[in-house]
Amino acid sequence: MLEVSALCAHYGRAQILHGLDLSVAAGEVHVLVGRNGAGKSTTLKAIMGLLPPSGGRIIFAGQSIAGREPFEIARLGIGYVPEDRRIFAELSVAEYLEVGRRPPRPGLAPWTRERIFALFPPLAALERRPAGRTSGGEQQMLAIARTLMGHPRLILLDEPSEGLAPVILTRLGEALLALKAEGIGILLCEQNLRFAARVADRASLIERGRIVWSGPMAELLADAALRARHLAV
Amino acid sequence: MIGNLLAQALSGLASAASLFLVAAGLTVIFGVTRIVNFAHGSLYMLGAYLAYTIVTALPRGPLSFWGGILAAALAVGLIGVLIEVLLLRRIYRAPELFQLLATFGVVLIVQDAALAIWGPQDLLGPRAPGLRGGIEILGSRFPLYDLVLIGIGATVLLLLWLLFHRTRFGILVRAATLDREMVGALGVNQRMLFTGVFFLGAALAGLAGALQLPRESVNLQMDLAIIVEAFVVVVIGGLGSLPGAALAALLIGQMQAFGILIFPKITLVVVFLVMAVVLVLRPYGLLGRPPPPHAAAHAPPAPPLAPLSPTGRRLGWLALGLAMLLPALLGEHALFVLTELAVAILFAATLHFIMGPGGMASFGHAAYFGIGAYAAALLIKHLAAPMEAGLLLAPFAAGLAGLAFGAFCVRLSGVYAAMLTLAFAQIAWSAAFQWVEFTGGDNGILGVWPSAWAADKRLYAWMTLLLCLGGALLLRHAVFAPLGLALRAQRDSPLRAEAIGINTFAVRWVAFSLAAALAGLAGVLLAFSKGSVFPTYLAIPRSVDALLMVLLGGVQTSLGPFLGAIAYTGLHEQLMRLTELWRAALGAVIIALVLFFPGGLAGIRLRRP
Repeated sequence: MLEVSALCAHYGRAQILHGLDLSVAAGEVHVLVGRNGAGKSTTLKAIMGLLPPSGGRIIFAGQSIAGREPFEIARLGIGYVPEDRRIFAELSVAEYLEVGRRPPRPGLAPWTRERIFALFPPLAALERRPAGRTSGGEQQMLAIARTLMGHPRLILLDEPSEGLAPVILTRLGEALLALKAEGIGILLCEQNLRFAARVADRASLIERGRIVWSGPMAELLADAALRARHLAV
Repeated sequence: MIGNLLAQALSGLASAASLFLVAAGLTVIFGVTRIVNFAHGSLYMLGAYLAYTIVTALPRGPLSFWGGILAAALAVGLIGVLIEVLLLRRIYRAPELFQLLATFGVVLIVQDAALAIWGPQDLLGPRAPGLRGGIEILGSRFPLYDLVLIGIGATVLLLLWLLFHRTRFGILVRAATLDREMVGALGVNQRMLFTGVFFLGAALAGLAGALQLPRESVNLQMDLAIIVEAFVVVVIGGLGSLPGAALAALLIGQMQAFGILIFPKITLVVVFLVMAVVLVLRPYGLLGRPPPPHAAAHAPPAPPLAPLSPTGRRLGWLALGLAMLLPALLGEHALFVLTELAVAILFAATLHFIMGPGGMASFGHAAYFGIGAYAAALLIKHLAAPMEAGLLLAPFAAGLAGLAFGAFCVRLSGVYAAMLTLAFAQIAWSAAFQWVEFTGGDNGILGVWPSAWAADKRLYAWMTLLLCLGGALLLRHAVFAPLGLALRAQRDSPLRAEAIGINTFAVRWVAFSLAAALAGLAGVLLAFSKGSVFPTYLAIPRSVDALLMVLLGGVQTSLGPFLGAIAYTGLHEQLMRLTELWRAALGAVIIALVLFFPGGLAGIRLRRP
């Protein structure tokens, strides 16, 4: 569904991504792991068009999307959940979901408020509350929910586990598995390997803007030497 | 008595209603696009002119009156769309001051267009049909039309609330005000949103202007008068906050209504004083909030300034030497132009010092120029002091003003700093304009002539050249001195600068005050050369002049102010000589500058690798 090859990206003059290759299939959770500053978030931003790539190709659902604007990329069916969640603090939860709403996508079961509340039950009770006055876990659910209202085929999820309590994480993991079962592809950036292990099918190790290893998640979990080489601080 | 007070309060409400219509558009546009639209007052003025044309062209009657007003508002909305699509869309990522300047270019063009179309004389529109008289309230007569205006203001407030809370467009606008990039990442085409918001804001401004038709004459001064008031309202309420705009409009409307009763002499000052106090206490306004972290423009870091090469240094000294020879060769008029040019260079250099190396925004630099000039002129007028005393006092007075105003201004950044500097400059301007007994008001102060020894134009030109170029060189030197290094360090990274022991506040404050003092020197030198001072020395257009010189020369080059002042003074002279419509031409040049040469003249050379 998503094919990224030789992706390069710069912040000003500093090159962050040096020819990165990556792919995500429908119904697959692919986790991108690496140290801080390796280029995980930048990869997601470059795919989303928030940081226009300076080189390489990004093919999504058969179309080249490199250099397109974020809103066009979103309309093609990529949802983006940023690391800091970037909530619209003053909007109520109901309004919040409205911002993400797009016309239904042919061939996909459309997301409605009811389906979203079924996926994230805690949100149902919060409809009138300003999004700024919800807990960290609720904000993470909201950030995913608002993306779902656009009926994405692929979701880019940046560090969703950050700052969340274990019990919330369990629920989040279940929600991600439910999305995966719907056939949605997920590209996940994650530092928390235990959380990633619960949901991911495949993993890629990123180091200095390149993918240095890619394979089944189970292999990464089994190979302590590999992890020590690329992830130990 | 109670009746009088009530009538005064109602009249305050009526002004608040108009003010709210203008400010609402301005604040909504800012919220979404982060552009402070200087041309908003021009849209208001266009609304009034268009309404005049439409209403007087139609047969009399309530339908044609109200229909004409509505048509004018819609037409202005479309003009707003045109401005957004043709100009602003290209500069959403530019630094704030560039955006402010570009919209000021629109102000100049609209001024000349209105002059060309409707002529210089004030136009008196028809009264609203059926609403000519007044009604009796507790013994005081109150104009019926003002009551209708209050009703319209309240209705628009309600409609806007419904729009922003009950429609998808409104919810998207509110979301974009909070984080527009994220809204884009959710599949919303921001261009449509921006254009829509611009239409809405412009139509509101046009409506407000059109509604003034029965209240006052339509004239060419409406634009700047209303925009300054609207800035005050929007800044007090909080940039981007609609409820804030409503609250502040009420506050300012009432203050103006009762201010006339209580302090008739200082109504203007009071308004700006309130704005300054609010900004000092709550930098983001009553109901505003800090700008979203992702809204900042990603300007590439400035390349470090380098001192001139030995050859460049020699060339520089050669140019200075030649400049010093000039007075010996020139005639009377040319001498005067040379004096003006020298003053312009110093004035530009002082603004450049705080903007370029300092990274601070100022939209009110004329304050210090004018305070210097006025300090000397007042000394001469009231104490009959000689020129020398005036020359000494001017930089001192301007520097003190810089210390006082700067203490607040340098704490803020971006648009907020620009607005606070503007507020302080307007306070100084209001004092010069309204305190007639002391400052002579609009008539200025005449008879500000040099002492006998410097009365010779040639000698005066030499002295001016010496002082101005000396001052500009001093600032240039300061850029490479420890003060300048610290200044540039805090501009590039305030946190790291603090971490290595730089008191960033003190550095900014000192730099601001030093620049203010030298701007005062520039002001006083011009005053003695012309023999007079006027409130225009402190007015917005003079601040804009300085900004244009700095931007024309290039903010991030140390030669910028020299080149910019020379180019701008020359351009101004030529345009005024060539065309009646020099304002429009200047506006077009400003817009072209912002669109095509954001690095300034010196930047053109730098851009080549």
